[in-house]
Amino acid sequence: MGREKFFKIALGAMVMVAGFSASWASADDPAPENGTGSVSIRLHLTEEALPGDNPNAAVWDTIQPSEFRLAPQVHWPDRIQEVTVQSVKVRGMHNGEELAILLEYDDPSEDDADAAAIEFMVGDHKAHFAHGQEMLQVEGGPVNIWYWKKAADGAVDMSAKGFQTLRPQQNQNVSATGAWQEGVWRVVFSRRLHTEDANDVQITPGEWTNVAFAFWDGQIVDGTVKEQGSQKAVSSWWYLRAEPTPDNSLYGYVVLGIAIAAGFEWLLVRKIRRGNTA
Amino acid sequence: MKSPLVKTAILLAGMYVLLKFILPLFTAPLPASLIFLYLALTFAAAAIFYTMSGAGLEDFMGPIGRFLTGEGQTGLAGTARLLVFALFPVLVGWQTYTKMAPSDVPPAENRTIHPAPPGEFVGLANPFPRTQENIMMGQGLYAAFCSPCHGANFDGKGPAAVGFNPPPANFSDPGTIAQLQESYLFWRIKKGGVGLPVEGMPWKSAMPRWEKELPDEWIWKIIMGEYAGAGQAPRTWEEEE
Repeated sequence: MGREKFFKIALGAMVMVAGFSASWASADDPAPENGTGSVSIRLHLTEEALPGDNPNAAVWDTIQPSEFRLAPQVHWPDRIQEVTVQSVKVRGMHNGEELAILLEYDDPSEDDADAAAIEFMVGDHKAHFAHGQEMLQVEGGPVNIWYWKKAADGAVDMSAKGFQTLRPQQNQNVSATGAWQEGVWRVVFSRRLHTEDANDVQITPGEWTNVAFAFWDGQIVDGTVKEQGSQKAVSSWWYLRAEPTPDNSLYGYVVLGIAIAAGFEWLLVRKIRRGNTA
Repeated sequence: MKSPLVKTAILLAGMYVLLKFILPLFTAPLPASLIFLYLALTFAAAAIFYTMSGAGLEDFMGPIGRFLTGEGQTGLAGTARLLVFALFPVLVGWQTYTKMAPSDVPPAENRTIHPAPPGEFVGLANPFPRTQENIMMGQGLYAAFCSPCHGANFDGKGPAAVGFNPPPANFSDPGTIAQLQESYLFWRIKKGGVGLPVEGMPWKSAMPRWEKELPDEWIWKIIMGEYAGAGQAPRTWEEEE
Protein backbone atom coordinates (compact mmCIF):
# COMPACT_ATOMS: atom_id res chain seq x y z
CA MET A 1 0.00 0.00 0.00
CA GLY A 2 1.44 3.39 -1.03
CA ARG A 3 1.98 6.38 1.23
CA GLU A 4 -0.62 8.38 -0.65
CA LYS A 5 -3.24 5.72 -0.01
CA PHE A 6 -2.32 5.58 3.63
CA PHE A 7 -2.64 9.31 3.88
CA LYS A 8 -6.11 9.09 2.42
CA ILE A 9 -7.05 6.39 4.91
CA ALA A 10 -5.73 8.54 7.74
CA LEU A 11 -7.73 11.46 6.45
CA GLY A 12 -10.85 9.33 6.25
CA ALA A 13 -10.34 7.99 9.74
CA MET A 14 -9.83 11.51 11.09
CA VAL A 15 -13.04 12.67 9.46
CA MET A 16 -14.86 9.79 11.10
CA VAL A 17 -13.33 10.54 14.48
CA ALA A 18 -14.22 14.20 14.02
CA GLY A 19 -17.81 13.35 13.13
CA PHE A 20 -18.19 11.08 16.14
CA SER A 21 -16.53 13.42 18.56
CA ALA A 22 -18.24 16.58 17.38
CA SER A 23 -21.65 14.91 17.58
CA TRP A 24 -21.07 13.67 21.05
CA ALA A 25 -19.40 16.87 22.19
CA SER A 26 -21.89 19.40 20.88
CA ALA A 27 -24.44 18.83 23.63
CA ASP A 28 -22.61 19.86 26.78
CA ASP A 29 -20.97 23.24 26.33
CA PRO A 30 -20.97 25.38 29.51
CA ALA A 31 -24.15 27.14 30.57
CA PRO A 32 -24.59 30.86 29.79
CA GLU A 33 -22.90 33.45 31.95
CA ASN A 34 -25.80 34.02 34.33
CA GLY A 35 -25.65 30.36 35.38
CA THR A 36 -29.38 29.83 35.75
CA GLY A 37 -32.46 30.99 33.94
CA SER A 38 -33.24 31.47 30.29
CA VAL A 39 -31.31 33.36 27.67
CA SER A 40 -33.92 33.78 24.97
CA ILE A 41 -37.62 33.88 24.16
CA ARG A 42 -39.18 32.10 21.22
CA LEU A 43 -42.32 33.59 19.70
CA HIS A 44 -44.00 30.35 18.65
CA LEU A 45 -45.47 30.31 15.18
CA THR A 46 -49.17 29.48 15.11
CA GLU A 47 -51.91 29.49 12.51
CA GLU A 48 -54.57 30.11 15.17
CA ALA A 49 -55.88 33.51 16.27
CA LEU A 50 -53.51 35.07 18.80
CA PRO A 51 -54.71 35.49 22.40
CA GLY A 52 -53.48 39.09 22.26
CA ASP A 53 -56.29 40.37 24.48
CA ASN A 54 -56.58 37.44 26.84
CA PRO A 55 -53.81 36.82 29.35
CA ASN A 56 -55.68 33.81 30.72
CA ALA A 57 -56.28 32.04 27.38
CA ALA A 58 -55.71 28.30 27.73
CA VAL A 59 -53.31 28.29 24.79
CA TRP A 60 -50.71 30.21 26.83
CA ASP A 61 -50.32 27.24 29.13
CA THR A 62 -49.30 25.03 26.21
CA ILE A 63 -46.12 27.09 25.77
CA GLN A 64 -43.00 26.45 27.81
CA PRO A 65 -42.07 29.82 29.36
CA SER A 66 -38.63 31.41 29.43
CA GLU A 67 -37.77 32.75 32.88
CA PHE A 68 -35.55 35.73 33.70
CA ARG A 69 -34.31 36.90 37.10
CA LEU A 70 -34.75 40.59 37.89
CA ALA A 71 -32.70 43.00 39.95
CA PRO A 72 -33.48 46.20 41.83
CA GLN A 73 -32.60 49.18 39.64
CA VAL A 74 -29.23 50.28 41.03
CA HIS A 75 -27.70 51.63 37.86
CA TRP A 76 -28.68 55.27 38.20
CA PRO A 77 -30.44 57.50 40.77
CA ASP A 78 -33.01 57.25 42.22
CA ARG A 79 -31.99 53.72 43.09
CA ILE A 80 -33.91 51.08 44.97
CA GLN A 81 -32.42 48.30 47.08
CA GLU A 82 -35.31 45.84 47.28
CA VAL A 83 -38.06 45.12 44.79
CA THR A 84 -41.21 43.01 44.81
CA VAL A 85 -40.95 41.32 41.43
CA GLN A 86 -38.02 38.89 41.54
CA SER A 87 -38.45 37.10 38.21
CA VAL A 88 -40.68 36.98 35.15
CA LYS A 89 -41.92 34.13 33.01
CA VAL A 90 -42.27 35.08 29.35
CA ARG A 91 -44.25 33.32 26.64
CA GLY A 92 -44.70 34.49 23.07
CA MET A 93 -46.61 33.67 19.89
CA HIS A 94 -46.91 35.06 16.40
CA ASN A 95 -48.88 34.21 13.27
CA GLY A 96 -46.69 35.86 10.66
CA GLU A 97 -48.63 39.13 10.93
CA GLU A 98 -49.04 39.85 14.62
CA LEU A 99 -47.31 38.90 17.84
CA ALA A 100 -48.41 38.49 21.44
CA ILE A 101 -46.09 38.37 24.46
CA LEU A 102 -47.30 37.26 27.89
CA LEU A 103 -45.47 38.35 31.04
CA GLU A 104 -46.30 36.42 34.20
CA TYR A 105 -44.91 37.47 37.58
CA ASP A 106 -45.63 37.35 41.30
CA ASP A 107 -46.97 40.47 43.00
CA PRO A 108 -48.89 39.89 46.25
CA SER A 109 -51.22 42.88 45.82
CA GLU A 110 -53.24 44.32 42.96
CA ASP A 111 -52.65 48.07 42.83
CA ASP A 112 -53.53 50.82 40.38
CA ALA A 113 -49.88 51.82 40.02
CA ASP A 114 -48.69 48.27 39.21
CA ALA A 115 -46.89 48.42 35.87
CA ALA A 116 -44.78 46.35 33.48
CA ALA A 117 -42.65 47.22 30.46
CA ILE A 118 -40.81 45.47 27.65
CA GLU A 119 -37.86 47.22 26.03
CA PHE A 120 -36.34 46.50 22.60
CA MET A 121 -33.33 47.78 20.72
CA VAL A 122 -34.29 49.58 17.52
CA GLY A 123 -32.20 49.67 14.37
CA ASP A 124 -28.62 48.64 13.73
CA HIS A 125 -26.88 50.28 16.68
CA LYS A 126 -26.65 48.59 20.04
CA ALA A 127 -28.52 50.53 22.71
CA HIS A 128 -27.75 50.56 26.45
CA PHE A 129 -30.45 48.71 28.40
CA ALA A 130 -31.01 51.74 30.63
CA HIS A 131 -33.23 53.73 28.23
CA GLY A 132 -30.54 53.70 25.53
CA GLN A 133 -28.32 56.01 27.59
CA GLU A 134 -25.18 57.42 26.04
CA MET A 135 -22.16 55.12 25.80
CA LEU A 136 -18.79 56.83 25.84
CA GLN A 137 -16.88 54.80 23.27
CA VAL A 138 -19.72 53.27 21.24
CA GLU A 139 -22.36 55.01 19.17
CA GLY A 140 -25.62 53.79 20.63
CA GLY A 141 -29.12 53.55 19.21
CA PRO A 142 -32.62 54.20 20.53
CA VAL A 143 -34.95 51.85 22.37
CA ASN A 144 -38.65 51.12 21.96
CA ILE A 145 -40.51 50.59 25.24
CA TRP A 146 -43.98 49.04 25.56
CA TYR A 147 -45.44 50.17 28.89
CA TRP A 148 -48.54 48.86 30.63
CA LYS A 149 -50.09 50.24 33.81
CA LYS A 150 -52.98 48.68 35.69
CA ALA A 151 -54.84 51.97 36.15
CA ALA A 152 -55.11 52.50 32.38
CA ASP A 153 -55.03 48.79 31.41
CA GLY A 154 -53.60 49.68 28.02
CA ALA A 155 -50.21 50.06 26.44
CA VAL A 156 -48.13 53.13 25.78
CA ASP A 157 -45.70 52.80 22.88
CA MET A 158 -42.62 54.84 23.83
CA SER A 159 -39.15 55.74 22.58
CA ALA A 160 -35.97 56.80 24.36
CA LYS A 161 -32.35 57.52 23.56
CA GLY A 162 -30.78 58.50 26.84
CA PHE A 163 -32.04 59.60 30.23
CA GLN A 164 -34.82 62.22 30.28
CA THR A 165 -35.72 61.41 26.67
CA LEU A 166 -38.47 58.83 27.29
CA ARG A 167 -41.57 59.97 25.37
CA PRO A 168 -44.79 58.39 24.08
CA GLN A 169 -44.66 57.99 20.32
CA GLN A 170 -46.99 59.80 17.95
CA ASN A 171 -48.10 56.48 16.47
CA GLN A 172 -49.40 54.12 19.12
CA ASN A 173 -49.19 50.58 17.74
CA VAL A 174 -49.16 48.40 20.86
CA SER A 175 -52.03 47.09 22.92
CA ALA A 176 -51.87 45.45 26.35
CA THR A 177 -54.12 44.09 29.03
CA GLY A 178 -53.47 42.51 32.40
CA ALA A 179 -55.25 40.21 34.81
CA TRP A 180 -54.33 39.71 38.48
CA GLN A 181 -55.27 36.55 40.29
CA GLU A 182 -54.08 35.14 43.60
CA GLY A 183 -50.85 37.10 43.71
CA VAL A 184 -49.92 36.66 40.05
CA TRP A 185 -50.05 39.24 37.28
CA ARG A 186 -50.46 38.07 33.71
CA VAL A 187 -50.00 40.90 31.24
CA VAL A 188 -50.22 40.36 27.50
CA PHE A 189 -48.78 42.79 24.95
CA SER A 190 -49.62 42.58 21.25
CA ARG A 191 -48.60 44.35 18.09
CA ARG A 192 -48.04 43.73 14.41
CA LEU A 193 -44.62 42.21 13.65
CA HIS A 194 -43.87 45.11 11.30
CA THR A 195 -45.02 48.71 11.51
CA GLU A 196 -44.48 51.79 9.36
CA ASP A 197 -42.96 53.67 12.31
CA ALA A 198 -39.15 54.00 12.21
CA ASN A 199 -39.18 54.41 16.02
CA ASP A 200 -40.60 50.93 16.50
CA VAL A 201 -38.79 47.63 16.82
CA GLN A 202 -39.45 45.51 13.75
CA ILE A 203 -39.75 41.79 14.38
CA THR A 204 -38.67 39.64 11.44
CA PRO A 205 -39.16 35.88 11.93
CA GLY A 206 -35.82 34.12 12.21
CA GLU A 207 -33.90 37.24 13.29
CA TRP A 208 -32.71 37.93 16.83
CA THR A 209 -33.78 41.03 18.74
CA ASN A 210 -32.53 42.25 22.13
CA VAL A 211 -35.17 42.53 24.81
CA ALA A 212 -35.28 43.67 28.46
CA PHE A 213 -37.96 44.01 31.15
CA ALA A 214 -39.05 46.33 33.97
CA PHE A 215 -41.73 46.02 36.67
CA TRP A 216 -43.17 48.36 39.29
CA ASP A 217 -45.03 47.30 42.43
CA GLY A 218 -47.62 50.06 42.84
CA GLN A 219 -48.52 49.20 46.41
CA ILE A 220 -49.10 52.24 48.63
CA VAL A 221 -46.72 52.16 51.61
CA ASP A 222 -46.84 55.00 54.15
CA GLY A 223 -48.87 57.09 51.74
CA THR A 224 -46.53 56.75 48.75
CA VAL A 225 -46.27 54.34 45.88
CA LYS A 226 -43.62 51.72 46.75
CA GLU A 227 -41.99 51.57 43.30
CA GLN A 228 -42.25 54.28 40.66
CA GLY A 229 -40.08 56.03 38.08
CA SER A 230 -36.53 54.69 38.17
CA GLN A 231 -37.28 52.66 41.29
CA LYS A 232 -38.27 49.37 39.73
CA ALA A 233 -37.22 45.78 39.08
CA VAL A 234 -35.18 45.41 35.88
CA SER A 235 -33.32 42.98 33.69
CA SER A 236 -30.49 43.74 31.30
CA TRP A 237 -30.63 42.55 27.68
CA TRP A 238 -31.77 39.08 26.69
CA TYR A 239 -32.79 37.75 23.28
CA LEU A 240 -36.05 37.26 21.41
CA ARG A 241 -36.78 35.63 18.10
CA ALA A 242 -39.98 34.95 16.21
CA GLU A 243 -39.97 31.36 15.01
CA PRO A 244 -39.41 31.29 11.23
CA THR A 245 -41.71 29.46 8.83
CA PRO A 246 -40.56 25.81 8.59
CA ASP A 247 -38.05 25.36 5.79
CA ASN A 248 -38.35 21.85 4.34
CA SER A 249 -35.17 22.27 2.31
CA LEU A 250 -33.42 21.36 5.57
CA TYR A 251 -34.38 17.71 5.05
CA GLY A 252 -32.94 17.83 1.52
CA TYR A 253 -29.59 18.92 2.98
CA VAL A 254 -29.76 16.10 5.55
CA VAL A 255 -30.29 13.52 2.79
CA LEU A 256 -27.47 15.12 0.79
CA GLY A 257 -25.18 14.91 3.84
CA ILE A 258 -25.97 11.22 4.32
CA ALA A 259 -25.42 10.51 0.61
CA ILE A 260 -22.06 12.32 0.58
CA ALA A 261 -20.91 10.47 3.72
CA ALA A 262 -21.96 7.08 2.28
CA GLY A 263 -20.31 7.94 -1.05
CA PHE A 264 -17.14 8.92 0.79
CA GLU A 265 -17.08 5.56 2.58
CA TRP A 266 -17.56 3.69 -0.69
CA LEU A 267 -14.78 5.66 -2.42
CA LEU A 268 -12.42 5.19 0.52
CA VAL A 269 -12.87 1.40 0.62
CA ARG A 270 -12.58 1.18 -3.18
CA LYS A 271 -9.32 3.16 -3.13
CA ILE A 272 -7.82 1.00 -0.38
CA ARG A 273 -8.83 -2.25 -2.13
CA ARG A 274 -7.37 -1.05 -5.43
CA GLY A 275 -4.18 -0.02 -3.61
CA ASN A 276 -3.95 -3.44 -2.00
CA THR A 277 -4.33 -5.31 -5.27
CA ALA A 278 -2.11 -2.97 -7.32
CA MET B 1 4.11 -4.80 22.80
CA LYS B 2 0.88 -3.08 21.93
CA SER B 3 0.26 -1.82 18.42
CA PRO B 4 0.56 1.93 17.77
CA LEU B 5 -3.17 2.09 17.17
CA VAL B 6 -4.00 0.69 20.60
CA LYS B 7 -1.46 3.05 22.19
CA THR B 8 -3.11 5.99 20.40
CA ALA B 9 -6.54 4.90 21.62
CA ILE B 10 -5.24 4.66 25.20
CA LEU B 11 -3.59 8.08 24.83
CA LEU B 12 -6.85 9.63 23.58
CA ALA B 13 -8.86 8.02 26.39
CA GLY B 14 -6.31 9.29 28.93
CA MET B 15 -6.39 12.79 27.48
CA TYR B 16 -10.19 12.79 27.60
CA VAL B 17 -10.27 11.75 31.26
CA LEU B 18 -7.65 14.38 32.07
CA LEU B 19 -9.43 17.22 30.26
CA LYS B 20 -12.99 16.30 31.19
CA PHE B 21 -12.69 15.10 34.78
CA ILE B 22 -9.30 15.89 36.32
CA LEU B 23 -8.66 19.42 35.03
CA PRO B 24 -12.01 20.78 36.38
CA LEU B 25 -10.81 19.87 39.88
CA PHE B 26 -8.28 22.69 39.57
CA THR B 27 -9.85 25.18 37.18
CA ALA B 28 -13.04 25.97 35.26
CA PRO B 29 -14.45 23.12 33.12
CA LEU B 30 -13.33 23.22 29.50
CA PRO B 31 -15.97 23.70 26.79
CA ALA B 32 -16.67 20.49 24.88
CA SER B 33 -15.50 22.13 21.66
CA LEU B 34 -12.07 22.81 23.19
CA ILE B 35 -11.79 19.24 24.53
CA PHE B 36 -12.56 18.01 21.01
CA LEU B 37 -9.87 20.29 19.57
CA TYR B 38 -7.27 18.97 22.03
CA LEU B 39 -8.23 15.36 21.25
CA ALA B 40 -7.97 16.02 17.51
CA LEU B 41 -4.50 17.55 18.02
CA THR B 42 -3.46 14.57 20.16
CA PHE B 43 -4.64 12.17 17.44
CA ALA B 44 -2.83 14.14 14.75
CA ALA B 45 0.37 14.20 16.82
CA ALA B 46 0.19 10.42 17.44
CA ALA B 47 -0.51 9.78 13.74
CA ILE B 48 2.52 11.86 12.70
CA PHE B 49 4.75 10.22 15.32
CA TYR B 50 3.83 6.64 14.43
CA THR B 51 3.92 7.13 10.65
CA MET B 52 7.38 8.70 10.40
CA SER B 53 8.97 5.38 9.32
CA GLY B 54 7.70 2.94 6.69
CA ALA B 55 7.30 0.11 9.25
CA GLY B 56 5.52 2.44 11.66
CA LEU B 57 3.23 3.52 8.88
CA GLU B 58 2.20 -0.07 8.22
CA ASP B 59 1.80 -0.78 11.95
CA PHE B 60 -0.40 2.27 12.39
CA MET B 61 -2.42 2.32 9.20
CA GLY B 62 -2.56 -1.40 8.36
CA PRO B 63 -5.22 -2.31 10.93
CA ILE B 64 -7.31 0.72 9.87
CA GLY B 65 -7.10 -0.29 6.21
CA ARG B 66 -7.98 -3.93 6.98
CA PHE B 67 -10.87 -2.81 9.17
CA LEU B 68 -12.26 -0.53 6.46
CA THR B 69 -11.96 -3.08 3.64
CA GLY B 70 -13.29 -5.91 5.79
CA GLU B 71 -10.31 -8.05 4.78
CA GLY B 72 -10.49 -11.38 6.63
CA GLN B 73 -13.05 -10.12 9.11
CA THR B 74 -15.76 -12.30 10.59
CA GLY B 75 -17.94 -12.25 13.68
CA LEU B 76 -17.67 -9.27 16.00
CA ALA B 77 -15.14 -7.36 13.88
CA GLY B 78 -17.38 -7.70 10.83
CA THR B 79 -20.41 -6.48 12.74
CA ALA B 80 -18.42 -3.53 14.17
CA ARG B 81 -17.33 -2.60 10.65
CA LEU B 82 -20.91 -2.62 9.39
CA LEU B 83 -22.00 -0.55 12.39
CA VAL B 84 -19.30 2.08 11.77
CA PHE B 85 -20.24 2.26 8.09
CA ALA B 86 -23.93 2.64 8.93
CA LEU B 87 -23.41 5.11 11.80
CA PHE B 88 -21.09 7.52 10.03
CA PRO B 89 -23.65 8.72 7.41
CA VAL B 90 -26.32 8.87 10.13
CA LEU B 91 -24.07 11.08 12.27
CA VAL B 92 -23.30 13.34 9.32
CA GLY B 93 -27.05 13.63 8.64
CA TRP B 94 -27.73 14.37 12.30
CA GLN B 95 -24.98 16.99 12.40
CA THR B 96 -26.43 18.62 9.29
CA TYR B 97 -29.85 18.69 10.94
CA THR B 98 -28.67 20.15 14.26
CA LYS B 99 -26.56 22.80 12.56
CA MET B 100 -29.32 23.91 10.20
CA ALA B 101 -32.49 23.46 12.29
CA PRO B 102 -33.87 26.66 13.88
CA SER B 103 -32.43 26.97 17.37
CA ASP B 104 -33.24 29.01 20.46
CA VAL B 105 -29.55 29.58 21.09
CA PRO B 106 -28.80 33.22 20.32
CA PRO B 107 -25.74 34.19 18.30
CA ALA B 108 -22.50 34.00 20.26
CA GLU B 109 -21.22 37.33 21.53
CA ASN B 110 -17.68 37.23 22.80
CA ARG B 111 -17.27 39.76 25.56
CA THR B 112 -13.79 40.88 26.54
CA ILE B 113 -13.92 41.03 30.32
CA HIS B 114 -10.93 43.32 30.85
CA PRO B 115 -10.60 45.45 27.71
CA ALA B 116 -7.81 48.02 27.41
CA PRO B 117 -8.48 51.29 29.27
CA PRO B 118 -8.26 54.66 27.53
CA GLY B 119 -4.77 56.19 27.54
CA GLU B 120 -5.51 58.87 30.10
CA PHE B 121 -6.08 56.21 32.79
CA VAL B 122 -2.96 54.11 32.15
CA GLY B 123 -0.36 54.29 34.90
CA LEU B 124 -2.31 56.48 37.33
CA ALA B 125 -1.29 55.87 40.93
CA ASN B 126 -3.54 56.06 43.96
CA PRO B 127 -2.76 59.54 45.35
CA PHE B 128 -3.91 58.61 48.85
CA PRO B 129 -1.71 56.80 51.36
CA ARG B 130 -2.73 53.28 52.33
CA THR B 131 -3.54 54.18 55.92
CA GLN B 132 -5.95 52.28 58.11
CA GLU B 133 -8.18 55.33 58.20
CA ASN B 134 -8.38 55.58 54.39
CA ILE B 135 -9.04 51.86 54.06
CA MET B 136 -11.82 52.05 56.65
CA MET B 137 -13.38 54.97 54.84
CA GLY B 138 -13.12 53.11 51.53
CA GLN B 139 -14.83 50.06 52.97
CA GLY B 140 -17.63 52.23 54.33
CA LEU B 141 -18.16 53.80 50.91
CA TYR B 142 -18.00 50.34 49.33
CA ALA B 143 -20.72 49.14 51.69
CA ALA B 144 -22.92 52.08 50.72
CA PHE B 145 -22.41 52.19 46.95
CA CYS B 146 -20.91 48.89 45.73
CA SER B 147 -22.06 46.08 48.02
CA PRO B 148 -25.66 45.86 46.69
CA CYS B 149 -24.21 44.21 43.56
CA HIS B 150 -20.64 43.20 44.42
CA GLY B 151 -21.62 41.82 47.82
CA ALA B 152 -20.72 42.57 51.43
CA ASN B 153 -18.19 39.73 51.14
CA PHE B 154 -16.68 41.16 47.93
CA ASP B 155 -17.77 37.98 46.12
CA GLY B 156 -20.10 39.47 43.48
CA LYS B 157 -23.13 38.05 45.25
CA GLY B 158 -24.96 41.13 46.48
CA PRO B 159 -28.75 41.16 46.66
CA ALA B 160 -28.99 43.01 43.31
CA ALA B 161 -26.54 40.71 41.53
CA VAL B 162 -28.85 37.93 40.37
CA GLY B 163 -30.70 39.81 37.68
CA PHE B 164 -27.75 41.13 35.75
CA ASN B 165 -25.98 39.63 32.77
CA PRO B 166 -22.99 39.87 32.87
CA PRO B 167 -22.88 39.30 36.64
CA PRO B 168 -21.03 41.77 38.90
CA ALA B 169 -17.32 41.02 39.32
CA ASN B 170 -16.24 38.78 42.20
CA PHE B 171 -13.32 40.64 43.78
CA SER B 172 -12.29 37.70 45.97
CA ASP B 173 -11.58 35.67 42.82
CA PRO B 174 -7.84 35.92 42.08
CA GLY B 175 -8.75 36.34 38.39
CA THR B 176 -10.33 39.79 38.83
CA ILE B 177 -8.88 42.79 40.70
CA ALA B 178 -5.70 40.91 41.66
CA GLN B 179 -4.83 40.90 37.94
CA LEU B 180 -5.47 44.63 37.55
CA GLN B 181 -3.77 47.83 38.50
CA GLU B 182 -5.49 50.44 40.67
CA SER B 183 -5.64 52.78 37.67
CA TYR B 184 -7.76 50.19 35.83
CA LEU B 185 -10.27 50.04 38.68
CA PHE B 186 -10.31 53.84 38.80
CA TRP B 187 -11.35 53.89 35.11
CA ARG B 188 -14.01 51.19 35.52
CA ILE B 189 -15.58 52.78 38.60
CA LYS B 190 -15.42 56.34 37.25
CA LYS B 191 -16.82 55.66 33.78
CA GLY B 192 -18.91 52.57 34.58
CA GLY B 193 -20.33 50.13 32.06
CA VAL B 194 -21.07 52.84 29.52
CA GLY B 195 -17.35 53.69 29.41
CA LEU B 196 -16.41 50.28 28.01
CA PRO B 197 -15.25 49.90 24.41
CA VAL B 198 -17.34 47.88 21.97
CA GLU B 199 -15.68 44.54 22.88
CA GLY B 200 -16.77 45.07 26.50
CA MET B 201 -20.44 45.21 25.40
CA PRO B 202 -21.26 48.39 27.33
CA TRP B 203 -24.94 48.10 26.38
CA LYS B 204 -25.38 45.20 28.82
CA SER B 205 -23.45 46.49 31.82
CA ALA B 206 -25.30 47.82 34.86
CA MET B 207 -22.13 49.28 36.41
CA PRO B 208 -22.98 52.94 37.19
CA ARG B 209 -20.96 55.84 35.85
CA TRP B 210 -19.87 56.92 39.34
CA GLU B 211 -18.08 60.07 38.20
CA LYS B 212 -21.54 61.61 38.05
CA GLU B 213 -22.07 61.01 41.75
CA LEU B 214 -18.79 60.40 43.60
CA PRO B 215 -15.65 62.57 43.87
CA ASP B 216 -12.36 61.05 42.70
CA GLU B 217 -11.11 60.90 46.30
CA TRP B 218 -13.93 58.56 47.26
CA ILE B 219 -13.28 56.36 44.25
CA TRP B 220 -9.57 55.97 45.13
CA LYS B 221 -10.51 55.11 48.72
CA ILE B 222 -13.16 52.62 47.56
CA ILE B 223 -10.41 50.90 45.53
CA MET B 224 -8.26 50.64 48.66
CA GLY B 225 -11.20 49.29 50.63
CA GLU B 226 -11.99 46.75 47.91
CA TYR B 227 -8.48 45.30 47.81
CA ALA B 228 -8.24 45.15 51.59
CA GLY B 229 -11.71 43.64 52.02
CA ALA B 230 -11.24 41.05 49.27
CA GLY B 231 -7.80 40.08 50.59
CA GLN B 232 -6.13 40.93 47.28
CA ALA B 233 -3.29 43.23 46.22
CA PRO B 234 -3.22 45.37 43.09
CA ARG B 235 -0.99 44.31 40.25
CA THR B 236 2.05 46.50 39.91
CA TRP B 237 4.91 46.84 37.46
CA GLU B 238 7.44 46.84 40.26
CA GLU B 239 9.57 43.75 40.68
CA GLU B 240 8.45 41.48 43.46
CA GLU B 241 10.83 41.20 46.35
